[in-house]
Amino acid sequence: MDLVRDLEALAEGARQSIAQAPDDRTLEELRVRYLGKKGEISAVLRGMGQLAAEERPRVGEVANRVRDEVDALLVRARQRIEDSRLEKELQGARIDVTLPGRRLLPRGHRHPVTRTTEEIVAIFSRLGYEVASGPEIELDWYNFEALNIPADHPARDMQDTFYVDESALGRVGGEGAVLLRTHTSPIQIRAMKRAGAPPVRVVAPGRVYRSDYDQTHTPMFHQVEGICVGPGITFADLKGTLAAFARAFFGAGTRTRVRPSYFPFVEPGAEVDVSCSICGGVGNRSGARCGTCKGTGWLEVLGSGMVHPKVLENVGFDPSAVTGFAFGMGVERMAMLKYGIGDLRLFYENDLRFLEQF
Amino acid sequence: MRISIAWLSAYVPLPPPAELARRLTDVGLEVEAVERVGASLDGVVAARILSSERHPNAEKLAVCQVEAGAGTVQVVCGATNWKVGDVVPLATPGTRMPAGHRIDRASLRGVDSHGMLCSAKELGLDDDASGLLLLPADAVPGTPLAQVLGIEDVVLEVNVTPNRPDALSHLGIAREVAAATGAEVSYPEAGLRQEAPAASTALRVTVEAPDRCFRYAARVIEGVRIGPSPAWLARRLEACGVRAISNVVDATNFVLLERGQPLHAFDLDKVAGAEIVVRMARAGEKMTTLDGVVRTLSPDDLVIADRERASALAGVMGGGDSEISAGTSRVLLESAWFEPTGVRRTARRHGLHTEASHRFERGVDPEGVVAALDRCAAMIATLSGGTVRRGAVDAHPHRRKPVEVTLPWTRPGEILGMPVSRKEARAALQSLGFELTSTGPRNGTFRVPSWRLDVTREEDLIEEIVRLRGYDAIPETLPVIVSDTPAPSLEAVVTERVRQALEGAGFSEAVNFSFVAPGDLTPLGAGSGAGIPLKNPISADLAVMRGSLVPSLLKVLAYNRRQRVEEVRIYEIASTYHPRAADATDDTPAREELRLAGVASGRRHPVGWSAGGDPLDFHDVKGALEPLLETLGIEGVRWVPGGASWLHPRSAATLSWPGGGAEPVVLGVVGEVHPRVAAAFDLPRGVFAFDLSFAALAAAARPVRGHADVPRFPAVLRDLAVVVANEVEARAVLEGVRAEPLVEEVTLFDVYRGAPIPEGRKNLAMAIRYRAGDRTLTDSEADAAHARIVARLQADLGADLRG
Ligand SMILES: [Zn+2]
Repeated sequence: MDLVRDLEALAEGARQSIAQAPDDRTLEELRVRYLGKKGEISAVLRGMGQLAAEERPRVGEVANRVRDEVDALLVRARQRIEDSRLEKELQGARIDVTLPGRRLLPRGHRHPVTRTTEEIVAIFSRLGYEVASGPEIELDWYNFEALNIPADHPARDMQDTFYVDESALGRVGGEGAVLLRTHTSPIQIRAMKRAGAPPVRVVAPGRVYRSDYDQTHTPMFHQVEGICVGPGITFADLKGTLAAFARAFFGAGTRTRVRPSYFPFVEPGAEVDVSCSICGGVGNRSGARCGTCKGTGWLEVLGSGMVHPKVLENVGFDPSAVTGFAFGMGVERMAMLKYGIGDLRLFYENDLRFLEQF
Repeated sequence: MRISIAWLSAYVPLPPPAELARRLTDVGLEVEAVERVGASLDGVVAARILSSERHPNAEKLAVCQVEAGAGTVQVVCGATNWKVGDVVPLATPGTRMPAGHRIDRASLRGVDSHGMLCSAKELGLDDDASGLLLLPADAVPGTPLAQVLGIEDVVLEVNVTPNRPDALSHLGIAREVAAATGAEVSYPEAGLRQEAPAASTALRVTVEAPDRCFRYAARVIEGVRIGPSPAWLARRLEACGVRAISNVVDATNFVLLERGQPLHAFDLDKVAGAEIVVRMARAGEKMTTLDGVVRTLSPDDLVIADRERASALAGVMGGGDSEISAGTSRVLLESAWFEPTGVRRTARRHGLHTEASHRFERGVDPEGVVAALDRCAAMIATLSGGTVRRGAVDAHPHRRKPVEVTLPWTRPGEILGMPVSRKEARAALQSLGFELTSTGPRNGTFRVPSWRLDVTREEDLIEEIVRLRGYDAIPETLPVIVSDTPAPSLEAVVTERVRQALEGAGFSEAVNFSFVAPGDLTPLGAGSGAGIPLKNPISADLAVMRGSLVPSLLKVLAYNRRQRVEEVRIYEIASTYHPRAADATDDTPAREELRLAGVASGRRHPVGWSAGGDPLDFHDVKGALEPLLETLGIEGVRWVPGGASWLHPRSAATLSWPGGGAEPVVLGVVGEVHPRVAAAFDLPRGVFAFDLSFAALAAAARPVRGHADVPRFPAVLRDLAVVVANEVEARAVLEGVRAEPLVEEVTLFDVYRGAPIPEGRKNLAMAIRYRAGDRTLTDSEADAAHARIVARLQADLGADLRG
């Protein structure tokens, strides 16, 4: 019976020492002392050999109970110590949350012209338009003739044209002058020719060139051109499409106004105005005249019209069977209006302090 | 075109100016500005001089009491051409004078002066500075001067598009106003009085070039006295921006602005042989135009000649020899119809753009030629006291048939997308002067008015109908079209991924002009593309369509450095321009190659509190391009030492993609910009650049890839450090490791040169992960694989194992 008493005494000692253990290291020492191969419980059990056979199960039972108890005490004690350590940390010193975040490489920025082009194109993509492109060094036929702007026509004055030194092109002459496209409209000709038959619905962004350089013009700028040709396309469709575009680009409340204008490749031609995105179309801001729309409440943003029958004929379409509309806009102007950029030159200086704002 | 409302109101009843401007804009004649004439005289009123006395302190000044509407005021005056009772202009305090200064209440030598009495010159009215401008005695004191002088007017700046030459005159605008408002145009009477003998006895006209001059009509006015025009006429012209010159010339300009028909007056006594020959110029023929320039003519120039020589560039500008002068007494007045494209060619050839050429090249009313001639002849007679000889000399080789256009009644509705009744269509067209000549259940045929040369087909009629009816009436609908939903193109997908990869690597996008200075391309040396020169560049700096994107980007880098922006990473995606290949078959005149280029300089990471400060190098740029290749799914790219002549020969690489073909595909080059090239762009060392072919990237891209299963069995990790000669490329060592089939991945985590590694050698430390796909690898299998790798590196690369 001594052994049972010894075990009970041992358990009592373990309870006290484990409860008082201050840290993990002490706990580990206590584990070795009580539960180790050479520990105190093992030592007690080694004395079992001298016991009578009928006493052994009872002593063994007590020994197991004590071992389990000590084991459980150790687990709880470890948890207690861990908890108190965590509690201490949670109450301890703060980090400096005001130190700047670690940014090894700030993200680059997309040019506002690209950004705006992408926004415009995305809207028309959602309406089912395909994206088309074409050469910037272009033949006179595609840039002018096919678009109902014959040679010696005053409409050519509307666009001051850059011509290319053809001797550098290594091509034989006689195919008409080579120029820098003055608008993205030649892409619509190429797209219709490529398609071969209606319907054709494309949107064509790109660089265009005109010989003009001052406060409000750069010799290179960007346009997005669109065309929708098929049976039964009407002027009402043109109005609806561009009104939908204006709302998607400038915001849901944007109003549009369409008035007659002239572009040789459309008829009837139309200028599309949108309600001023800066003053909301009222013409003034906090009492002062709105400089963006010059107080009119309207901004000219789009040229458009029904595709001229001569243009359809030029690409082999039958104007009595198909109709269509075309539209075009200047990307820089759209970007200026959308982002409130006041100076056109900013687009081409490529000053990172400007670019990084987009 | 400037349209005077005072003038316009003589032909048609007008709504108020703002309303008129809106109505004109609504019918397609955009009013760009509304300007009040006489505004420069605001603050100046008529004042009657009631009394005057000598200035007490200045002998040459008078102190006047004047009545100026609101009472009597005192003004000090220095002029002497007046007497008490005269009415003169008074600039009241606050008036801004045309010269720019402001009139204020002032004390002149101790006497108060409440304004200033003005001369005509001081008011900017004419050059007369001899004394006060004396106004009519019945002018009511206090009345604004502009009203007293009758020069109150509003001028509309109308943007007339090239298709509407008929609107380049006051009568033309009046027609549009009448159509828009339902009013009637009252055409002015010519009031021509003719006297014998007949003009044909004094003048002969021959048209030798009938395909360039469809009609040439002339009248002769004799006994004219050249002098200044009356004030009303000068005012009309000046409101439209035309300077008054003399009664005869002013009459021609008046009729031009009234009817859009250019006219020309010759001094008949200077027309040799009293004969007009309308002919093509002879090669090398010379003439002096009114602007004093001696011009060498082309055989494509149409001239108005007399028996001896050319005396006018037809439809463009008259000649100095036959100009109206102070002594002119016999006038030959010309009114003609010249073929538009010919006039345009001549005007452009000689760099001229005149009121006449502007209208002729757009097309004047062929039926208005003689009416304008008669109107102008009558005016000249009235203004100059001359007499008009009986009859016009009218050479009319090319008679024009009226144009008729048939309109299917349903067509306007089909095009516009709204119902347009037959009645509406007819009413709109008739109000614009179109005449219904025949009508049926399906179609109506309209005779186009002679001034509407732009109308030739049914679509033109529909435009007339809708612009008059107003675009607001058209509903908004969306097109119904059967077509596929387009998938984004490979180019669009590649572009977006490239942009995102570069933006993730800190590169911002630049957009540069496509043209550069020729010298910008030279530092890059041959092979980078000389570009395509322009014939008419806007400046020498923008003269060549660039053959490479790199120079523009280097300039942007230099620009930003000058702005003290040190950390620069920029890229551009744009076309480069090259002569087309000899065997090209498409119909594009040049070869345009889309490229992707970038430049970088500055620190690897921005300086922060925890890291940063080192300058970036080749491997930073490589580290930007590797994820780009990964996101495009381009695998197996080899980084071959050596790039391009504009790159540092020892610090550059060519990206070579094995592809599927016989030859590897060159994707582009990357490296440090050659120090001499950098210097040419005012850049220091340490500028890195890449220049890749977008088409090659797109061709190599596999943006949608398959996937491999996630490994099911554990890996074994081993580190390996080997020492190899400096010249041994890391690629060779890594490929040697990867040649072992059990290697799943190898990461090079250190490159070390220096003690204790022998001179000329380097230590490469790698972490290798071994794994078998079908079983758990044992340690001994991994050890064996490791040993095979060591043996291979020793044998192939002379590597030493470092323990
Ligand atoms: Zn506004």
